[in-house]
Amino acid sequence: MADTLLELKGVSIRRGIDIVLSDFNLSLAGGQCIILHGENGSGKSTVIEAAARLLPMEKGEVRHHLNMVHDSEGRRKNPKFPFGLTLQSNGLVPSQTIQQHLETVCALSQFECDLTPILESYGLSHRRHDKIAHLSGGQQRKVSVISGLIPAMLSEQPRLILLDEPDSGLDDYSIEILKTHINQLRSSGHGILIATHDERLFECATSLHDLNEETKHEPKACEPWKPIGKQANNSFLATKMGWKYNASTLISIQRNWLASLLVIGTLLALVEPLSIKDHDVLVMGFVLAPAFTIGLVGDSVTSILQEQRAIDWWRAQVQSIPNSNIESFLSGCILTIFSMQVFLQIFDWRIVLIGGIIGFVTTFSLRFLQLSTLRLARTNAVFIRLLTPILILPWAMVVEYCVSF
Amino acid sequence: MRVRHGEVLLASGFIGIMATLFLALKWAPSVSIDAFASPAAQRIFYWHVPSAWAAFIAFSVLFAGSALWVFKRSPFGWRLHVAGSEASLACGLMAVWSGCVWGAAEWGTPWDWTDVRLNTFGLLTLLALFLVLGRQSQPDGIESRDTFSTFGLYGFVLVPITYIATRFWQIRHPGPVIGGGEDSSLSSEMGLVLLLGAISFTILIAGHMIMSARITEYEQRLERLQNKMDGRI
Repeated sequence: MADTLLELKGVSIRRGIDIVLSDFNLSLAGGQCIILHGENGSGKSTVIEAAARLLPMEKGEVRHHLNMVHDSEGRRKNPKFPFGLTLQSNGLVPSQTIQQHLETVCALSQFECDLTPILESYGLSHRRHDKIAHLSGGQQRKVSVISGLIPAMLSEQPRLILLDEPDSGLDDYSIEILKTHINQLRSSGHGILIATHDERLFECATSLHDLNEETKHEPKACEPWKPIGKQANNSFLATKMGWKYNASTLISIQRNWLASLLVIGTLLALVEPLSIKDHDVLVMGFVLAPAFTIGLVGDSVTSILQEQRAIDWWRAQVQSIPNSNIESFLSGCILTIFSMQVFLQIFDWRIVLIGGIIGFVTTFSLRFLQLSTLRLARTNAVFIRLLTPILILPWAMVVEYCVSF
Repeated sequence: MRVRHGEVLLASGFIGIMATLFLALKWAPSVSIDAFASPAAQRIFYWHVPSAWAAFIAFSVLFAGSALWVFKRSPFGWRLHVAGSEASLACGLMAVWSGCVWGAAEWGTPWDWTDVRLNTFGLLTLLALFLVLGRQSQPDGIESRDTFSTFGLYGFVLVPITYIATRFWQIRHPGPVIGGGEDSSLSSEMGLVLLLGAISFTILIAGHMIMSARITEYEQRLERLQNKMDGRI
């Protein structure tokens, strides 16, 4: 008998004020394709997101490959094996190219491969070096669907694939290709869970589930998929990806650095550095203000990941999402050197180091606050930055400490 | 006729506060001209201390409500959380605003970013502001209730820190006026006005919280009815 790839055991989930899923059970084995169907609001996406460990549960637990990955106590464990995920809202980073995004998905699966045949099949190979933001809605959807299928396409071992409305926005030709891929992957032993309204995809199902009842279905026989991946080891992926996102978008320069340089400019407009050289605390405050500003702007990588729910896609896959830890430390050091030259006309490596630490700790704290409101429906509308003054007192203490150098 | 306890308490508290203000300005003795840089401004004390006291009660209610929601998923706990955050914001702002006015007159600066008491209390007030504004920006649901209650729960850590701040790190804010040893003794008239102020503020926020909890309950009932009409229940 095939291995069980996904189990939802007695799962109850609330969304808004309603209980969307109550004591829900589902089991998906390798070689199965279960299609969830039903009316809008019936809970299809909730099942997919619960299986991807994205939703807190009132009761129950989620297992991947028989190992608990999430439960109602809030425990979240990384799945032992990578899984494919296509969210309803794509989960892409618009400033990346198709190639970069799909290489990231391959790296998360600990594989590398030639993506050309897959991109060609969806008519995207000529666009592989285009940024996702420059693609049409349908093309973006294709990239998102390919991202969901890749972990299974690369692996000989059975993998779990979760697809939330993969057909949405796809043309007829692409849907035919998608059906072929789903059938091939299922035939080669992968397990696929799909939420959809599109009856054309029902042909791929081994069972249809309306969230109350599961009915068996006989899909067409098909040639199994031949895996195309080569094993590759990828460590520190979240840190590397944070660095890559920063390098490709220069978002830290655009947001954090610009704010810091504006602070230095504003301070220079107010006072002449030589006229305050006897006011030690004031001068040191001016020197360390840019590093503090870098952090107060927030983690830029977290902000770009919030577009198209890419942050949720990452949260489903790994425990630690891409971040600007290294950039914030380096930026803090560099801008402190600059402000030290402007206001103190000396170089002290201890102050530079403290500037770097201020940049890192402030960015880290802001990211913590940003991430703590992720469950809210309108994360950008919540006034989380009202709590940032908590950082002023420790910063002022560090400034006073640095005066003693 | 049905007696509305919230309104009665709110009105009584308001009258008590007005009486406190009158006594503070007209009856309470003046302080020594040597002890204060601005002796006249010291009368703000009769507003500042009771409002801070009421704010601490409101923060405690916020904590209790948040804990009840997080651990028991109690709708009553959520109503307490809403009422506590609103009362915390109102009293916190009154204490911060009066403190800034007094500080400007007495110290020559309305705020000191290095004073632990000022900063922790200010942060508690900002937390209450975050909870009130944040709640209004989000649709009501389990996600928003869980998130805001978690903030209410952890934010309470600041209350004991604020309370002991002037005992351990007295930078600019003076030490406790009651229970702070020999230095903290008040004359009997001053103590009486302060007590009246504290009682009045307590009654006022109790009335406010009862009314707020009732309004939240009505909102919840309305939402249930709307969902019923949408066919979602």
